[in-house]
Amino acid sequence: MTKQPLVEMVDIEKHFGGVRAVDHVSLDLAPGEVVGLLGHNGAGKSCLMRILSGAMVPNSGEIRIEGKTVHMSEPNDARAHGIETIYQTLALADHLDAPKNLFLGRELKTRFGNLDDKRMHEEARKVLARLNPNFKNLRDPVSSLSGGQRQVIAIARAIYFDTKILIMDEPTAALGPSETAMVADLIRQLRAEGIGIFLVSHDMHDVFDLCDRVVVMNKGRLVGAHGIDEVSKDDVLSLIVKGELPADWSARNLEAV
Amino acid sequence: MSDTSKPVQKYQLGGLMPAEGQLHRLSALMTLLLLILGFSLASPAFFSVNNALTVLLQTSVIGLLGIGMTMVIITGGIDLSVGSVLALSGVVSGLAVKAGVPVIPGMALGILTGTACGAFNGFVITRMKITPFVATLGMMLIARGIALQLTGAAPVSGLGDAFGVLGNGALFRVTEMMPNGFPRVIFPGIPYPAILLLVMAGFGAYVLHRRQIGRHIYATGSNEEAARLSGVRVDWTKLYAYTMSGALAGLAGNVLMSRLVTAQPSEGVMAELDAIAAAVIGGASLNGGVGTISGTMIGAFIIGILRNGLNMAGVSAFIQQIVIGFVVIGAVWIDQIRNRR
Repeated sequence: MTKQPLVEMVDIEKHFGGVRAVDHVSLDLAPGEVVGLLGHNGAGKSCLMRILSGAMVPNSGEIRIEGKTVHMSEPNDARAHGIETIYQTLALADHLDAPKNLFLGRELKTRFGNLDDKRMHEEARKVLARLNPNFKNLRDPVSSLSGGQRQVIAIARAIYFDTKILIMDEPTAALGPSETAMVADLIRQLRAEGIGIFLVSHDMHDVFDLCDRVVVMNKGRLVGAHGIDEVSKDDVLSLIVKGELPADWSARNLEAV
Repeated sequence: MSDTSKPVQKYQLGGLMPAEGQLHRLSALMTLLLLILGFSLASPAFFSVNNALTVLLQTSVIGLLGIGMTMVIITGGIDLSVGSVLALSGVVSGLAVKAGVPVIPGMALGILTGTACGAFNGFVITRMKITPFVATLGMMLIARGIALQLTGAAPVSGLGDAFGVLGNGALFRVTEMMPNGFPRVIFPGIPYPAILLLVMAGFGAYVLHRRQIGRHIYATGSNEEAARLSGVRVDWTKLYAYTMSGALAGLAGNVLMSRLVTAQPSEGVMAELDAIAAAVIGGASLNGGVGTISGTMIGAFIIGILRNGLNMAGVSAFIQQIVIGFVVIGAVWIDQIRNRR
């Protein structure tokens, strides 16, 4: 079965002066697939994801969404194509409350073009309650909320709108165990809805638990893309650290047969 | 169990206690009322309709500048050029009227000049990536220099009565003719500058709280990178704020020159500092993301009443500067203590 990939990134390159942050990387993502993106700090994974989320423009290469070539020069362009990003920093405006952050850049308006705060508040209450039933202090500035609540706002913002592709950059780094489990459940639920997910993570456990495929980057290059059942944690670690698989490697799932 | 009761309790408390921003405005308002009370006791002439109108008139210029300044400060920037832009705009209006342009288009030209200065500030800050402090410091010198150059540093006078209407006219002025042929003022009316201030403050508050651009101004000042990633056009938002500040400085310049019926190229020196002080006393944070128009209006009136009251009490202008300086430091200090808690 060859499904049309949701996203194809073809031969993407991004350099800063002489430094190649992303070196001719090609990558794809199918609907309902979770792809784990791993690598050292500075391996280029965040850079690649920033390119896909429109926050950075590549020097060369092509991005196709559902087969159509797209050009994205700012985050709004990516959002228009259904690409949502949960940034590691969460990208929240601290002085604003949860509904204002949730709808930031995409405010709901009344007929006269005024902000419709009442409707935004109501919608935010609904979507936040779905993720965390205890979320009550909607009027507080997000600076006064807990790390978990802030994460919930960032997640809610990514899934509220008509999302096809979700980029999650270290979504569980700031979370406690129960909240991490909530995020894992959410990822499974979104996958079942046919959303394609890129999961950038350092947590090998999460990756093996949730992903269908792992993609490893090293020094800006893509050094491995494998189905999760082809590799062991040690294989992936070897890819991350050395940039290559162990010398005696063969696909694990074939080995077992 | 305790989990369910906790938020409810907090909610009730939240209903009773004013929010942080409101608290600051409340304390500023209390300060304002105390000042009025104090000066009224010190000088019987202070608490009169005529003096109230004088204060309104004097404060309208700081207030107008403060509205634009508040927007700029909320984005996390600062506009040091408003005093000079005020002078340049007034001078352009004055020269235009002197050259035979009717008063309304002439003043529009002046306000347009202010708007252009503000837009230039925004352009330098967003496109050339120069910090707001340096960019507007440059504009402060440029605008003042142009104003002095255009006029040869001499005031432009003889502008005619029509030029003075905006600054000196009043709504609902009631006069009656005395038998000796002189008019007697029964009610001096509400001065046009005060009405203009009220309208512009209402407009500013509306833009900041009910429009998307206002929301984006707060978001940009709160976390610029987050705003950008959320799809806010940060550059455009800043450009808007600086352009508004320039336009309001232009308007303030016209009000001031109209009140003098003379275009003074040396007017408005250090007016930017009054506007910044008004915003800061009113609770705006120079770090961005915080500030309200109503707070700035209270701040402007605190400064205006302080000046007026000290004048009435016969305190010298030098001492006034010292007092206002301490008030600004005190207001920010109190705010910091509150935030630290």
